[in-house]
Amino acid sequence: MTPAISVAGLTRHYRDQVALDHVSLELEAGSITGLLGRNGAGKTTLLRILAGQEFPSTGDVRVLGAPPAENDQVLRRMVFVREDQAYPDFKVGHALRAASWFYPNWDRELAGTLAEDFNLRPKKSIKKLSRGLRSALGITIGLAARAEVTLFDEPYAGLDAVARQIFYDRLLADYAEFPRTILLSTHLIDEAAALFESVVVIDQGRVVLEAAADGLRGVATTVSGPVLAVDEFTTGRAVWNRRRLGSQASVVMVGPLVEADRAEAQSLGLDLVPLTLQQLVVHAAGWPGAAGPGASAPANPEGVRA
Amino acid sequence: MRTLVKVARYHLVQPWQYLVVPWGILTFSFLVSLIVYAIVPADHHTVVTAHGSVSVLNSRYTGASSSFFIYFLVLGIQSIGRSLPFGLALGMSRRTYYTGTALLAVGLSFVNGLMLAIFQIIEQATNGWGVQMSFFRIAFVLIGPWYLTWLSTFVGLTLLFVYGMWYGIVYRRWGALGTIAFIAAQVTVALAAVVIITWAHGWTGVGHFFTGLTAVGLTGLLAVLAAALLAGGHATIRRAAI
Repeated sequence: MTPAISVAGLTRHYRDQVALDHVSLELEAGSITGLLGRNGAGKTTLLRILAGQEFPSTGDVRVLGAPPAENDQVLRRMVFVREDQAYPDFKVGHALRAASWFYPNWDRELAGTLAEDFNLRPKKSIKKLSRGLRSALGITIGLAARAEVTLFDEPYAGLDAVARQIFYDRLLADYAEFPRTILLSTHLIDEAAALFESVVVIDQGRVVLEAAADGLRGVATTVSGPVLAVDEFTTGRAVWNRRRLGSQASVVMVGPLVEADRAEAQSLGLDLVPLTLQQLVVHAAGWPGAAGPGASAPANPEGVRA
Repeated sequence: MRTLVKVARYHLVQPWQYLVVPWGILTFSFLVSLIVYAIVPADHHTVVTAHGSVSVLNSRYTGASSSFFIYFLVLGIQSIGRSLPFGLALGMSRRTYYTGTALLAVGLSFVNGLMLAIFQIIEQATNGWGVQMSFFRIAFVLIGPWYLTWLSTFVGLTLLFVYGMWYGIVYRRWGALGTIAFIAAQVTVALAAVVIITWAHGWTGVGHFFTGLTAVGLTGLLAVLAAALLAGGHATIRRAAI
């Protein structure tokens, strides 16, 4: 089966600045992938290139088996919702109506339901919408389009917690009924973590982590307790980050834990807390203090490459 | 073709800008001209004929209908502006967007040209709306039979719209600085033409060319120019990033 999205050796530079540096990726059809990374890491550039809005400097990009740039056959099967989307002088209803003409699988009922959930009034001018409601409009279009490839770039900037929950719930419900390939970039990693079947982390234009979400659970664990006990437990194991506060220590340990490890930890009186996806991403992006403030040991992001 | 019609419809989903505003502007400038000419008495000039001299009212051109034409330039710019980014977000290619928008330009010019021609007929029949006003008739270019007026306005409106589109695309691609450079380049080309003609002592020839040019010939010239602008815009939009 051809992957829904396949990128090989993709580089994009602007004058002397490299936005994407030899990015290679493959996303299976029918999956939800989180695209994670810091501001300026290259997430938006990657999504814009996938959507045919920007052009690669070098490299090969394929969406649904063909290069997306200026390719109507591919573009009409794809929707791209971006945070900074510019809209013409439309009312909400105009934008939804126009969108309905261009997407063969457009679901009017879903669009109506979402608009109601988000309190989006069709008569309201888009110019006058708050930031959150503009995001809600983008989300409504992105979901109701039911496009085979759905790209979301920070889709919920300014949205309140309830509206974000509505987005997650509606996305999962509709995805279960109509599977498609969804690539979603976000900074609210832990909040969205439950959605992702896989994650891609980019940092300074490079892919630093590409893994199935399941494979990341238990990849690293924070071990905390008395210094001596922690040292005993972690001897001979890969460690990312070590920190001490008086007689207590806290260490981020890499590698899966077996039952015997847990029993040992319990007898030593240690706490074991698996690293959250967000903490893993912070590590992968090269910042050592993932488990909290005051880090000391060097990071090893390569350690989690799956 | 269906997709192209959809692109044209996309622009018209909010019909105000394209269908209502131009006629609002035209109506307003028409009323202003009408009231002014109703107040100010018309000039006369005397024509001597075999039967003695006759006093004839001077034609009164307003030139105010040009506001309608200028608005078409503005519409062309706006048809790119913030409409292009959302259009691409809805899965149109640049080529499709551009062709569909050009189709809109042609369609709008066709219909509006016909309307202007019809108003020209009415103007003629009512002796210039009762006040000898030439609002829809413009000396030399829009003064012939209605179908020639239709043709000329159709070509002229299309030209202006397409020209505006090119400005919109240049701005989207290269920003304000690029737009200034674009204008400067056009001025330079015009200046170069003037210099060359002067060096070659060609002004008499140019004068003969334009005095010999009929309204139909001019329309043909403008049509060629419109086609060139259309090609230029197409070449510019192909690599425009959003």
